[in-house]
Amino acid sequence: MMRVLTIAAVALLAACNQQEAAPPPHAAKGGPPPPPPYQMRPEAASGNRLAASDGQRAYEVHCGYCHLTGGMGTNLLTKQRMMAGEPPENGLLTNRTDLTADYVRQVVRMGKNAMPQQTKVDITDAELDAVALYLGKAK
Amino acid sequence: MKLVTPPRVSPQAFDTAMQAFAGVVGKDWVMASDADRSAYADTYAPGPQEQWPASAAVAPASVEEVQAIVRLANEHKTPLWPVARGKNLGYGTAAPRMAGSVVLDLGRMNKILELDPTLAYCVVEPGVGFFDLYEAIQRDKLPLWLSVPGNAWGSVMGNTLEHGIGYTSYGLHARNVCGVEAVLPDGDVVRTGMGAMKDNPAWHLFPMGYGPTWDLAFTQSNFGVVTKMGLWLQPAPESSLELVFDIPEADDIGWVIDTIAPLKISGLIDQNVFIPSWLGKMVLKGQRKDFWDKPSAIPEWRVAELLKEHKLGYWQVALRLYGEEPVVKAKAEVVKAAMARNLKAAPAENWWRTGDPINAYETTMGVPSAVPLQMSDWIGGRGAHMGFSPVVPATGKAVLDQMKLSRKIIDSFDVDFYASFTIGGRFANNVNMLMFDRDQPQQIDTMKKLFNALIDETAKAGYGEYRTHLGWMDRVMDTFDFNDHAFRRFNEKVKDAIDPNGIIAPGKQGVWPSAYRDQAKEGRA
Repeated sequence: MMRVLTIAAVALLAACNQQEAAPPPHAAKGGPPPPPPYQMRPEAASGNRLAASDGQRAYEVHCGYCHLTGGMGTNLLTKQRMMAGEPPENGLLTNRTDLTADYVRQVVRMGKNAMPQQTKVDITDAELDAVALYLGKAK
Repeated sequence: MKLVTPPRVSPQAFDTAMQAFAGVVGKDWVMASDADRSAYADTYAPGPQEQWPASAAVAPASVEEVQAIVRLANEHKTPLWPVARGKNLGYGTAAPRMAGSVVLDLGRMNKILELDPTLAYCVVEPGVGFFDLYEAIQRDKLPLWLSVPGNAWGSVMGNTLEHGIGYTSYGLHARNVCGVEAVLPDGDVVRTGMGAMKDNPAWHLFPMGYGPTWDLAFTQSNFGVVTKMGLWLQPAPESSLELVFDIPEADDIGWVIDTIAPLKISGLIDQNVFIPSWLGKMVLKGQRKDFWDKPSAIPEWRVAELLKEHKLGYWQVALRLYGEEPVVKAKAEVVKAAMARNLKAAPAENWWRTGDPINAYETTMGVPSAVPLQMSDWIGGRGAHMGFSPVVPATGKAVLDQMKLSRKIIDSFDVDFYASFTIGGRFANNVNMLMFDRDQPQQIDTMKKLFNALIDETAKAGYGEYRTHLGWMDRVMDTFDFNDHAFRRFNEKVKDAIDPNGIIAPGKQGVWPSAYRDQAKEGRA
């Protein structure tokens, strides 16, 4: 069972890579395709990091290099979710409907399994509140 | 994590210092709660994190704020532990060597100050991560490539200052440094090299400067806080060819080194050639328990089975050439002919040409990812790793002797043997990866004893480590023993002269200021 899941996760990774290999329709002729989402995060918002911020942007900037498509966190969670009998898409945190805002805050500040805890310089409380609201779809 | 104040600082005096820091950076950027302290703990600590407790963290946003903090630290006798982004995983993360030090978190200083595609260099502040720099280059479509470490989550400058290595032609990261700005322990600011002259445009181009050359004296060092760094980057090549050789037997590493090192030294191969053993590939295929479900080391017969099942050699050499296509082709012929003297099977050949997509996990093409850290999942639970990393001459004999020595020791502790060698020129960096579960005290205890044995026995063979975890900084420094440890004594003389209060990173790499030399026995793993 374990091996099947592992192979499935690897296949998913391979599929991600193939997707990269296929040029997107809007790409200029001959140009390389863009990097996967986790390597093309938006620029951080300018302005006061201690004031309320846009949850999606804060998520993509501060969590994205692991938790957008192709990132290490997404890869590990995909495997984990599939072992729990869920579809691979649930490896992406933005697809989860069972996360609460409090839970998001706690995992970010305390870390979990392979994920190290995040400092307030990594992500401020205001940014984390916005991310927790953005991801915390369960009430 | 509970408050441990710096040596000889009362809670009240500590509080006064924090208020003074807040006057510089604002109260939100002085982080001194129990939760804040935990956030700066060593996430991969071999044992209790409380062995290396920070008392607080302070995060300045500018060079002027760094200067002000350093001056206040002198006044209040609260030593600082500077970190760039604090992601030194496996070596202590953001945690300080000396208990009670205040982490000086430079992560907010994250500007890319220059990015020059013509002369191929950048100037970065400490908080710029590999992802940030890569994305900036992609956004402007600049013909520049990075050299990235396995975990690219961290800081470009921090990794370079710690002597990190990557797997491209620019893989010896500290070699790429050209001109730094540093805040000295008294709060003064100095610029090295040609930058010592105001507005000199050659600051980040000519590496020698005039007079003593100090750039590298600020690496693995507690002589100052580096606030800007010039770094040379690789011009994007027109094409690149990867030659993948599967090397069947463990002992083959001898002829592999004797074949590749001369080509690296002559300049035919530019790349830092990374040679991981089979386990490096296996950790990406699942968890250890899928392949061997006992706590004891994976026995040789099972290793042989796994190599067969997964069609792996004991080692894999994925060697990459860079440049104009006719040049790459000619170089490839030389490499292939040299390898064919000992290996019948032809290599797999993977061409890349400008405009082709680049695999998102391709560290040999300077693409940042944190995916190699997936190996923390190999052990399961709260997986962690430490690397035992001696440097040996790049000859087959020296490498084989080192491999046999470390293998014998690791086997005697019944731990899996996972070695790699990276040929950087006349030397090879040998990293022996030791993986453990942070919640298994017995495993941690074994790792600590094993680590001590590796350091001591390897030193007897004449070799030292290039980098180590907080808990072994003193033990490794002790192995550098020429003339009654003249190297440490010299560093400590310099330290005392420029930092009489011992305020910057006391104990870093085993260099203790006299103000805190009495603390050197604490915090040893």
